[in-house]
Amino acid sequence: MPRWGMVIDVKRCIACWGCTIACKEEHFLPPGVFFNRVLIGESGKFPTSSKLIYPVLCNHCSDAACVEACPTGATYVREDGIVAVDDEKCVGCRACMVSCPYQQRTYYDEKVKDREYFPGQGKTEMEIIGEKLYPFKLGTVIKCNFCSERLEDGMKKGLTPGKDEDASPACVNICPVGARIFGDLDDPESEINRLIMEKKGKQLRKEFGTEPAVYYID
Amino acid sequence: MNDKHQDLVETMFPSDGSGIKPYEWMISPTRQRQWIDDKGIFLWLAFFFSEIGAGLYFMSLFYSFRPGIVLGWLITLVLGGLIHMLYLGNPKRAWRMIMKPNTSELSRGIWIIGVFAVLGFLQIITPGGFNMVFNFIMGILCLLIISHGFATMNVIRALPAWNSTIVLPLSIISGIWVGHQLLQLMFAISGNAAAASGMEVWAAAFFLAYFLCMLLYAWGTWHASGAAKAAIQRMLEGDLKQITYIGVGVLAILVPLVFTLIMWGGDTNGFLIFLRLASVCAGDLAIRYLIMKSAVYNPLI
Amino acid sequence: MTYKTDEIWEDKWVNTTCGVCYCGCGAKVRVVNGVPVKIEGIKESTMGGTGSGLCGKGAAGLMYYHDPNRIKKPLLRTNPEKGIGVDPKWKEIEWDEALEMIATKMKKIMEDDPNKILFTNQTMRASDGPHNHPYFYAQAYGVKNNGNFIIGGGSLHCGNACHMLGGLIHGAWSIAPDWRYTKYVLKWGSSKGTGSGHSAMTNARLRADAIRRGIKEIVFDPMGNFAGGKATEWLAILPGTDTAVGLAIANYIVNIRGEMDELYLKAKTNFVYLIKDDGTYMRHEKSDKPLVYDTRDSKVKEYDDPSAAWEDLALDGEYEYNGETVRPCFVPFKEHLKQYTVEWAAEISTVPAAKILEVAKGWVDNAQIGSTITIEGKTYPYRPVSSVTFRGSQGHTNGIHQVAAIDLMSQLVGAEDVPGGTLGWPAIRRAYPGGNYEQTCTVGTDGVIVPSVFYSHDPWPVHAPSYPATNMGCVDVWTHCTLSHIPYVEEVDYIHEKLGMTSKPEMIFGISANFVISNSDWDTAVKNFKDCFVVQMDLWVNETDQAIGDLILPDVSYLEKDCWSSEIDAFFFSGSPSYEDWYVHLQQPVAKPIGESRFFMDVYIDVANRVGVLDKFNAKLNDYYGVKDPDLQIKPGEVLNWKQIGERVLKWVYGDDKEKIEKQGYATWHKPIDDVYWRWNIDSRCPVYMEYLIHDRRNMEKIFEETGFDLWMDMDQYTPLPTWFWPESHKDLDNEFDLLAFSYRDILHTNNTTFQNPYVDEVSQMCPYTFTITLNTSLAKDRKIKDGDIIWIENRYGVKEKGIVKTMEAQSPKVIGIAGQGGLWADGRPVAKGKGSNFCKLLPSKLRYFDPVAGNMETAVAVKIYKA
Repeated sequence: MPRWGMVIDVKRCIACWGCTIACKEEHFLPPGVFFNRVLIGESGKFPTSSKLIYPVLCNHCSDAACVEACPTGATYVREDGIVAVDDEKCVGCRACMVSCPYQQRTYYDEKVKDREYFPGQGKTEMEIIGEKLYPFKLGTVIKCNFCSERLEDGMKKGLTPGKDEDASPACVNICPVGARIFGDLDDPESEINRLIMEKKGKQLRKEFGTEPAVYYID
Repeated sequence: MNDKHQDLVETMFPSDGSGIKPYEWMISPTRQRQWIDDKGIFLWLAFFFSEIGAGLYFMSLFYSFRPGIVLGWLITLVLGGLIHMLYLGNPKRAWRMIMKPNTSELSRGIWIIGVFAVLGFLQIITPGGFNMVFNFIMGILCLLIISHGFATMNVIRALPAWNSTIVLPLSIISGIWVGHQLLQLMFAISGNAAAASGMEVWAAAFFLAYFLCMLLYAWGTWHASGAAKAAIQRMLEGDLKQITYIGVGVLAILVPLVFTLIMWGGDTNGFLIFLRLASVCAGDLAIRYLIMKSAVYNPLI
Repeated sequence: MTYKTDEIWEDKWVNTTCGVCYCGCGAKVRVVNGVPVKIEGIKESTMGGTGSGLCGKGAAGLMYYHDPNRIKKPLLRTNPEKGIGVDPKWKEIEWDEALEMIATKMKKIMEDDPNKILFTNQTMRASDGPHNHPYFYAQAYGVKNNGNFIIGGGSLHCGNACHMLGGLIHGAWSIAPDWRYTKYVLKWGSSKGTGSGHSAMTNARLRADAIRRGIKEIVFDPMGNFAGGKATEWLAILPGTDTAVGLAIANYIVNIRGEMDELYLKAKTNFVYLIKDDGTYMRHEKSDKPLVYDTRDSKVKEYDDPSAAWEDLALDGEYEYNGETVRPCFVPFKEHLKQYTVEWAAEISTVPAAKILEVAKGWVDNAQIGSTITIEGKTYPYRPVSSVTFRGSQGHTNGIHQVAAIDLMSQLVGAEDVPGGTLGWPAIRRAYPGGNYEQTCTVGTDGVIVPSVFYSHDPWPVHAPSYPATNMGCVDVWTHCTLSHIPYVEEVDYIHEKLGMTSKPEMIFGISANFVISNSDWDTAVKNFKDCFVVQMDLWVNETDQAIGDLILPDVSYLEKDCWSSEIDAFFFSGSPSYEDWYVHLQQPVAKPIGESRFFMDVYIDVANRVGVLDKFNAKLNDYYGVKDPDLQIKPGEVLNWKQIGERVLKWVYGDDKEKIEKQGYATWHKPIDDVYWRWNIDSRCPVYMEYLIHDRRNMEKIFEETGFDLWMDMDQYTPLPTWFWPESHKDLDNEFDLLAFSYRDILHTNNTTFQNPYVDEVSQMCPYTFTITLNTSLAKDRKIKDGDIIWIENRYGVKEKGIVKTMEAQSPKVIGIAGQGGLWADGRPVAKGKGSNFCKLLPSKLRYFDPVAGNMETAVAVKIYKA
């Protein structure tokens, strides 16, 4: 069984937000909900300061704080390493949201559901069809799932996640500069393991000890 | 022409006290919202009621005061429990929360409340229920419930201000202190002035302990880590400072101190006890609010 | 969370072309149950990012279709009063009435003078439709030259100086580093490869690979954000002072280090042409060709005399010809450079002298002068250094010299259109195998390249300034403007009067342009255009429509558009300069048009037909695509819609593969290496010594004298040598107006249209700089301004704009930055309304604030700031 992970090449990233928006389209996310974001900051002082750009998403930690905190077992680590939420079991206590050091979870309630992209002008066809095709359950917590539907469908067709688009996460496909590399962390030969080794991949906030599956290289 | 600028400033630089601009999210210390904002406010109330109910129950054990444990049991389960339910996204599935006691503090809390509910009920209906064994078990359960709210917060490593070791003693002492006050008021109302007066010596002691724990919490958190310090800073200097100075400074400390001094030596009266209790409850709510509202996450970059 | 597949009865991907900015990346759209729900790039196409990559705003393009604010029926102004803040009181009318109204108006004007009709090119959405057609559509009406175009979108902030020199040097619209082979890149006020510029995502992909390969990228920019923030090294520079640094580096190369690619200079530049004392060429009595001196034969010869070998041509010395002393123009050039020391440049630009020197050394060291590289069996000079510029540095009154100085560095080391150097945007296009339509450059007079396709005005050959002016833009006088600045100039009436301009505009026929708010001072724009009958084809009622529009026609967005031609001529505008296959994309409709919206090409055809000029337009189309097959040509009297025309043209362009390509939505075919470095193989010379400017100056001064035209322009800039001139914005600095405001492209935005996109809007709010005004941290501290404060920015003409402050370290402390074209107010675009700040309005529109040669806008402005 693979353990899916991602390498984000910060050197390549130009902060175009393609990942953020493609992800919103893939999952029909309402306004204000993001499974992918780009953090933009600065370090140092003029004239030698530098711009920091970090695309962030759920780290799919193998020792996830959210899983530990979940009282019902709705949040769990799948065999392939993806941290998933079973929306049949979630009671909406948000312990997972509060526990996540990376703040990658969103509570889906009426307030979120009722938001419109064109406020006061009604929902667009896209929003309406999205609610039908990709329904979120009210009162549950939603999050990035590494596009597990895409992965599963793709693999059923014999495709390889990370190599074939139809089996890879939407944010990986959309990245115009190839800054996102997806693959199997358990495969020592995989592209992502090679990059992690060669470029000394780092996990964000490793000190929380959650063992993220997303690595950053620069 | 740009009248909307003010709206945009509101969006990007909210003045509602949240103090976080959308682009500073997880780049500067970022505030915890779920467990205090919007429906999260229920959790604040639920923790508070569980705590004072269990506190009252706990104190009543020492006086074998049945009305006290009945009221404590009711406050904890009905007020605390009900408000807990209101907070949940899917209250109908609440039973599922017993599924993960091995890792989830929340799940453990549900178990404890369940056991407390059953055993407490038994103690209430059992004549001679105030025996050593029962009292001991219920005492432990009460302490666990008192600290349940803060214990749930305490295990969250992502929030250094909660993840501090002084959180638990503070919560236990505050539960006992408020419970004590409630019981004292019950005695005063029920005409048992002697008992009320006799409790006053403990009031002074609990108040002192409570005060020291608060100081210890503030001091310890300040020195724990950057994000923890940022939380205390928000309380003392930031948008929360009014609540800190009025809620904690005046209601939780100054007013109870004055009343305690007035009633020094057991010179109690029901009205003063009531006023002190009201102030203590408001102060305790303020402290809980502050701790929940001020906690921030470490920036990711 | 999972898909409810049982609800899906249709789920398909349609290949098309992205239309959110002018880059035209391949895009595919997912349509579920008839609703477009997702956009990605096309993996198999070379046009665009890595794999099926697309940038954020491209992915967000869906909202163009879903926006409920789109206009659905033609709108007619009923309030005769025009202006900003005046309600036009729109009335919905029927299409037929609208088109008849336009045709009647046009016919009436044409009886008098067709040059009284102004056209706009397409702007915000350049690849969203055929590119070049508005120009020859206008010609069908009898409009002359390019003087009747006004531009929205990037407006005059964009390209005039860059395009002019890009055309003269590379035969191309723009330039880019040869990412695949380069090692050392200098970027000057340009974000090529980091989000903006032509072929933005192709460039970004190539750059990302290059950066991973370990190239050095040094960015000169007032702020360290999109380009500077990603650079190996960012050097803070004051806006408009790049020339100084460029010239100092050139001086280092020529006079201090003395290491040049002499063979290149002799073979590929006009530095060997002999000039007289007055700086003009000595020409051959009969052929009128410039002359060179052959050192082997010790003889003066025509420049293209086959008996003179390149290496024997003189770069220095003094010679006699027909009794006159002549010398290669490199001689005065070399002497001229000596005044530009590194210390001098440091003082002007604020880039430390040591840094300039370091860059100069790095430049020469990396140029590998003399080395060669063999690719696909072909050997070329290898010069892995590239110096590129675009909007930022050229957008000043000294724009032409800015671009010339930046180009000069590449010329001196021979790093032009060879592997590793600076490449022109694809200037040629080969025919599809089995099809037709091929575009290649030719060599014109004096050995200078003549571009195959050039939007609006060809840069070569130059024509002599003359008067009376015959069009609003007066390009008869300002002959180098790609698109003229005169329509925007405050003193336009004076200029027209003095220059005898005969065609006072009466009508504008525009495509989604927003020229009232996107160029400079809004009031001037309203004044200059409000008396015209303004017709626009637009998606929404934008600011220009609301202020001065008379009739607004609903256009389709790129998602509803059937535009077979969208990328055929776009090799020139959005191709990849690198060694990547030729490509073409079609724009195919992914959904039905919103409301009664119609594609503007069909509206064009309908109007032309009503006016009676359709045959002329059709003839121009035949000519443009070079359709020789009589069956495929559009015949006189034929009335075809755009789709029907496409049936024929595509057959001509793609031959038997037409259906296949239509079905696929794109085509790629092999580009041999010689088509990448094509210029090396043809015998042409870059006019680095801008001799033509001497003649222009003489002609213009004569005209001004004869007409009594006495508005001041910096005529000294009409000099053949790249020279330092202070931009007008710097001259305006004093104790009160002590900061230079500048603007920059944010990767999320294309001019102002993207402000109406809610996806883009919400991520813009998550960006620290997109909707804010940036100030250097210490500058803000000095002024007691903090993040979130609202400040006013005011220029010396009393025009002011407010905005929210965001402090940043990576910005020169003498400037303030504003991204894009925010500060919008049109009621027709509620999402955009009030977001960000408008920079353009702060730019004064007096003639002196425009480049006297190329006509581009001074895009920095002296301002003061204070808290609101």
